[in-house]
Amino acid sequence: MRIQINQLTKTYKGDVHALKGIDLDVPTGMYGLLGSNGAGKTTLMRILAGLLRPTSGTVRLGGDDVTTKEGRLAVQRTLGYLPQDLGVYPDLTARQFLDYIALLKGLDERSVRRRRIGELLEVVALGEHADRRLKGYSGGMLRRVGIAQALLNDPRLLIVDEPTTGLDPEERIRFRTLLSHLAGERTVLLSTHIVEDVAQTCRHLAVLAKGRLVFQGDVGSLVARANRRVWTVVTSGAAPSTGRIVAALPHGSGMRYRVVAPVPPDPMAQPAEPTLEDGYLALMEAAVPA
Amino acid sequence: MKPLDLWAHELRRAGPAALAGAPALVLLMTLLAILGARLGSRESTTAFMLAGALEMVIPLITGMAAASSLGRDQAVELQLTLPVGYRSTVLRRLAATTGWTGLCAAAGSTVLTLGGWWELLPVTPHGPAVQLTWLAPALWLAALGLLASAAFSSAVAATTTVALVWVVEQVVAGPLQGSLPSRLLYLFATTRGTVPDDWTANRVVLLCTAAVLVAAAWPLLGRAERVLGGDKE
Amino acid sequence: MIATLRYEFLMQIRRPIMWIVYGLAFAVLVAAMWPGYRTLDLGSGGGHDPKPAMLASAKLTMSLLAIVYGCLLADRLIRDRRLGVAAILDASPSNPGGRLVGKYLGVCGATAVPIALVFFGRAVVYTFTEGKAETLAWALAVFATVILPALIFLGALALAGPLLIPPLVFRVLFVAYWFWGNLIPADMMPTLSHTIFAATGDYVEYGLFDRARPDGVVYGWPDAALNFLRPAATPAVAVLWMGVMVALAAAILLLTRLHAARSES
Repeated sequence: MRIQINQLTKTYKGDVHALKGIDLDVPTGMYGLLGSNGAGKTTLMRILAGLLRPTSGTVRLGGDDVTTKEGRLAVQRTLGYLPQDLGVYPDLTARQFLDYIALLKGLDERSVRRRRIGELLEVVALGEHADRRLKGYSGGMLRRVGIAQALLNDPRLLIVDEPTTGLDPEERIRFRTLLSHLAGERTVLLSTHIVEDVAQTCRHLAVLAKGRLVFQGDVGSLVARANRRVWTVVTSGAAPSTGRIVAALPHGSGMRYRVVAPVPPDPMAQPAEPTLEDGYLALMEAAVPA
Repeated sequence: MKPLDLWAHELRRAGPAALAGAPALVLLMTLLAILGARLGSRESTTAFMLAGALEMVIPLITGMAAASSLGRDQAVELQLTLPVGYRSTVLRRLAATTGWTGLCAAAGSTVLTLGGWWELLPVTPHGPAVQLTWLAPALWLAALGLLASAAFSSAVAATTTVALVWVVEQVVAGPLQGSLPSRLLYLFATTRGTVPDDWTANRVVLLCTAAVLVAAAWPLLGRAERVLGGDKE
Repeated sequence: MIATLRYEFLMQIRRPIMWIVYGLAFAVLVAAMWPGYRTLDLGSGGGHDPKPAMLASAKLTMSLLAIVYGCLLADRLIRDRRLGVAAILDASPSNPGGRLVGKYLGVCGATAVPIALVFFGRAVVYTFTEGKAETLAWALAVFATVILPALIFLGALALAGPLLIPPLVFRVLFVAYWFWGNLIPADMMPTLSHTIFAATGDYVEYGLFDRARPDGVVYGWPDAALNFLRPAATPAVAVLWMGVMVALAAAILLLTRLHAARSES
C-alpha cells in the first residue's frame, strides 16, 4: 500500500504546530520514520491511522483519502496499528483480548477467529502464555500481544509507533526481526527515535525534526550525509569543543572520542567510517542547529 | 447485532469490581428481607431500606460505572483506530454493565414482591411498573454519568458529578419535590414519596430526559481527539 | 515533607477540573436552596443572629460539598502508582512517612480551598449586608471547630480507601457511607449518623455553640440503635469529637504507611 502525503499540517489548540507542510511518499515494504521526541512522529502516525484529523493537506493510503470519513473507514479496515502506549484490559487473557479486538475488526466467524488467533500467538511466541491474564505480562510480552492484535485482520498497512522502547536487547532484536518478516507485500511504517532499529530493518526512511520533514530517501543517502564529517580523536586532555561527540571510551590514560563535525575537531583527529547514526546526527546538526 | 462473544468480552473487560456490587446488594437485600424483623427493624424501615437499595443504590452503581466508562479505558488509542465506531463500543459497554445490574435489580424486585414489601412504601407500583422503580433512576444517572464523562474527559470529575447529584437529591428532597418540574425529575419518588398520580409521569420524564442526556453526549463521544486527550492524570 | 506539601498543594489547586466540579456543585447548592440561600439563616428561622447562621451555613456546605471533596481526593494516592511515580519517590532519600503526611496535607489543603471560599465568601457578604463584623469571627470559629476536623478525617479516608479497594467501588461506598453514616436520621436504622464518629460536627454545634434543635428536643434519639455512641452534647464531648476526628485521620494515615511498607517489602 502506497502512502502519499501532500502539504500536511496539524496545529493543536494553543497554536502548537505539530506538523508543518509535510510531503512524503512511502512505498510498499518496511519504511522508517526517525525523529527526536516531539518531532511530530506520533501525530503523523495518528493521522495515518485515522485518529486525528489534519488541519490541512491530503493523505492518501492506497487510493483512500483519510481526511474523509469514508476514506478513514476504508483505511481502518485494512490497518494494523500498534500505538506507542499500548493499553490492554488487565482482566482479559491474551487470547480473550485478541478475540475481543478481532470481533471489533469485523472477524465475526468464530472458527476463523480462533484459527487466526492461534496462528498469531505462535508467530509472536506467546502460545504457552495465551491463557494468562494480561495483568501478569512483562513489557516485552505486551508488545508482542500488541503486534498480534495489529495483524489480526492481515493488514495491508502496519503502523508501529516506538515499538521497541523499554524492551531488553534480546526482545528488541526479536521484535525487529519479526517486523522485517512481516514487511513482504505490506507496508510497515516504523516510527522510532532509536536509529539502530531503522538501521537494522529499513532500506528507506524519512526524518522529522520539529514538525518538518528534513530527509527522505534510502539509508545509504542518510549515511552519506556524514561522509568526511566523522572523526576519531584520542586525547588525554579536554574533550573536543567543536562538533557533536557521539561516543567517548577510555583509551590508555586518555579518552577516545568519536565526533561528528564539518571540520576536524582536533589537529590529531583521524577520519572514520560513518554509520546511520552519524548520518542522522549530521543531518540534525544541519537541520536543527544545537 | 454483534456476536454474543463480544458482549461476554465486554463484561469480562469491566472486571469483577464493576460487576460484583449489584449481586452483593441483592444478597444483602435478601438477608435483610429474611432477617429484618429478627434484627429488630420496623417493617416500614425494612421496606424503605429494601426499596432504597433498588431505587437509590442500583442507580448509584450504574451511574458511577457509566461515569468511569471513558476515563478508565486503557486501550482507547487502539479502540479509536478500529473500524467499529468508538461510541458504539462505549454504548455497548454501558448496555452490558447496566444490563447485568438490571438483571440483579430485577431479582431484587422479586424479593420485595414475594415479601409484600411494596405495600409498605409511600408509593406502591404494580405489575411490570415495579421495574421502573430502579430502571428510570438507573438509566437517568447512567446517562448523566456518560454525559459528564464525555464532557469532562475525566473519570474523577464525572463520578463526582454523579455522586453530587445523588447526594443533593437526598439532602434537599423536600424543596425538590416542591415544584412540578423538579418533582418530575426527582430520582427517588418511590421511596421518598411524591404527589399522588405523579409517580408514572415522574418515571416517564426520567426515561425521556435520560435519552436527551445520551443524545447530548453522542457528539462529544464522536470527537476522537477529545476522547484521546482525556484522563491522563 | 514541606516540599511534598507545597508541590502537592500547587498541583491540586491548579487542576482546572477541581474548580469546574466545585463550581458545578456550588451552582447546584444555590439552585437547590433558592430562595432560602439569599437569607442569613438559610431559611431556618434563626433570624439575624450570625452564630446560628454560620452553623447552618457550615451544615449545608458540609452536607453537599464534602462529597465533592472526598471524591476528588480518591485518586490522588493511587495516581502515583498508576503513573509510575511511586517507584521514583520510593527510591529518593526522603522519609516515606513525611512524604505521606506532606501529600495528605498538601492535597487535602488544596481541595478544601473551594469549601473555605464558599463558606467564608458567604460570611463576608453577610458581614457587609447585615453590618455585623462579628459574623467573620463566628465564621472563623465555626470553620475551625465544625468543618476542619471533619475535613481532616474525610481527607484521610478518601486518600487511603482506594489503596485497599478499586477506586470505582470506593467512590460508591464513600457516597453510601456519607448518606448512611452522616445524613440519615439516627432513629431510622442502625447508623453512625449523629454519633461521636459522624463527620457532620453536630457535637460542636449543640455542645460547644449551644444550638437548640429546631424541634425543641435535646440532643439525643431515644429510639435509636447505637445510642451508646451518642453521649450528651457538652463542651467536653465537642472537644472529644474533634479529637476523635483527628485521631481517626492519624490512625488511617498510620495504617496507610504500614500498608505501603508491607507492599514495599
